[in-house]
This record gives sequence, C-alpha cells and structure tokens, in this order.
Amino acid sequence: MNKLLVTATISLALIALGGCTNKSVVRYGDATAVETTDINFGSTDLQTIAGQMTDSLLLSPVVGTLTANTRPILFVESIKNKTSEHIDTESITDSISTKLLRSGKFRFVDMARVAAVQEQLEFQQNSGMVDASKAVAFGQQVGAQYMLYGNLASIVKSNKDKSDVYYKFTLRLMDLKSGLVEWADETEIRKTKEKMFISW
Amino acid sequence: MSFIKNLPLLLLLLLSVFFISACKNVPPVTSGIGSEKLALEQKYSKHLQVHNKELASQLHISEIKSRKQNDLLQVNLSLTSTYKKSLQLQYQFQWFDKDGFVIEAGKSPWQSLELHGMQTQTVSSLAPTPNVATFSLYVRKVPEKYFKY
Repeated sequence: MNKLLVTATISLALIALGGCTNKSVVRYGDATAVETTDINFGSTDLQTIAGQMTDSLLLSPVVGTLTANTRPILFVESIKNKTSEHIDTESITDSISTKLLRSGKFRFVDMARVAAVQEQLEFQQNSGMVDASKAVAFGQQVGAQYMLYGNLASIVKSNKDKSDVYYKFTLRLMDLKSGLVEWADETEIRKTKEKMFISW
Repeated sequence: MSFIKNLPLLLLLLLSVFFISACKNVPPVTSGIGSEKLALEQKYSKHLQVHNKELASQLHISEIKSRKQNDLLQVNLSLTSTYKKSLQLQYQFQWFDKDGFVIEAGKSPWQSLELHGMQTQTVSSLAPTPNVATFSLYVRKVPEKYFKY
C-alpha cells in the first residue's frame, strides 16, 4: 500500500511538472487583428489613426471641391511626436499617404528622397555615362500645392490597479499658396489596462 | 472500510487527472455576425449571417446604410446591444469590385469598439478606392486566449 502511494505521488509530480512547462510556439498571426499585448502605441492604433484620418479627409466637402477636376499635389511635412513614448511617426504618415494615393484623389511629392533624386539627376547630367538626349533634365519637377502635417499627443495616468492612456492625433492640410488651413481633423484613442482577478 | 483506506489513492488519481488536463491552450472563439456582399443602397435584412448564436442574442445589426461620397462608397453600420453589460467588440469591412474580386485583401484592419449596455452605436467606413461595388462586414467579440484548467 505504502509503495503504491509513493509511486503514485512521484508519477503525479512528474505529470504536474511536465504538463505545465512553458513551451514557446511560433506561428503566423493576423496582421489586421486587434493587438492588445500591452498599453503602448501598437499596430491597431496605427491602423485606426491612418484609417480614420484618411476617411475623414476623403469625405470632407472641401476635399470634394479641391479634387473635383484635378488631383492636388501634397507633401507630408511630419507628425510631431509629443507623447512620452518613442513612436515611429513616419510609419503613420506613410500609411496615410499610401491610402490617399491609392484613393486616386491626390498626388504626392516625397521630400524624404530629394537628396537621392538630386544625386541621380547629377549622375545623369554630369557623369558622361548617360545619353545626353535621354537624360532627365533639372528643373522640371512639380512642386507641392498643399502640406499635410500634424501632432500626436498623449495623456498617461495610472494608479496601482489601473493604467490609462489617451492618444490624440491631429492632422491638418495647408494651402501653401495662401497659407490657409483647408482641412483639419483629430482622432482619439483610449486604452486601459486593469489588473484582472483570476476568474473561472 | 476498504473505501476509507483507499481514499488517499482515489484522491491522488483524481488529482492526476486534473493535472493532465491542466494548462491546455484552447483557441479563442472568433465567430460572430455579419453580412453577405451588399451593393450600394441594397436592403440588408435578408443578407445577414449569424455564426455565433451567443453573440447574436446580445447584439444585432440594426442598420446598414451606404452612399457615394466624393466618388467613394461610404458605409454606416449601426450596432444595437440587447445585453445589459458592456461588450468588447471588433468589426471589419471588406471591399469588392464589380466582378466580386476583393480589393486590398488582408489590409482592412479589425477595428475595436466598446458597446455599453443596451447602447446603439454607429460606425462608419470608407472604401479605399473608387472602383468598389460591393462590401461585406463582420462583427465579433474580441478574442481572448483561453486556458483550460
């Protein structure tokens, strides 16, 4: 009887140890899924902001007038990160400009690649390796008519049980000729993290 | 008498069964309610799909409206809660062209939405390109990882 008990206890301990080991598994997830790994700025926030801002801009009556017969040329200045986190705001502007471009309503000039373009044109004009009649000449590019710029701000609060973060993203469209802000909108995101008690 | 003698053994057996089933990772419930492909201004009531009866008893799609705005298809979706507690939901729109081909496959993100008890809330979405002819939508609860003990 005692022997049996000892054997059972040992086997039970082994099962208990083996059953609950931490096994890490790698798998592909859904890139469009709602992501709530932690409270910091994440992929869902980026997708929400980019989606809402693009929708709002494309739906506004002002943009309807601006894009009636022509496709205005935009450049994205930058999104100022005023939050306490490190956030790659270029990624937000990339998403917004890609969506706007794909809507077929706007055209963009990319100020982040000016140096590379200049280098290429200089190569075509001055290196002597490119057929002069086919080389792209300087001074033929088109300038932007509108500037897209904005801010990302956050308010973070927490106590011992709960943390709360509020993001506010503001985006504006300025007419470079007149200096008028033609369109502006803001979107808000609230995320909370609470300690959960074990529930069955 | 022999039963009492064997009681510790029986308990051990029960415990071991308990431990064998412990820490099992169960995939979350990701079914919900949604619509079939709907064209512009099409009546939606006959084209709704219920894949999750539990969610359908707590929530229903009260209105789907669509219109063309600045050449782009805009959709309004009204969700009504028939449940007294808050629901953590997410919704997704999908867009199709006139031949029924999906536009920007896998790029339409799930958007999260908190619906308070008995609340009706309307969300809106805009087609990404002007050549969208039909759309479909889906609503489900935010899936959480379940552990079975």
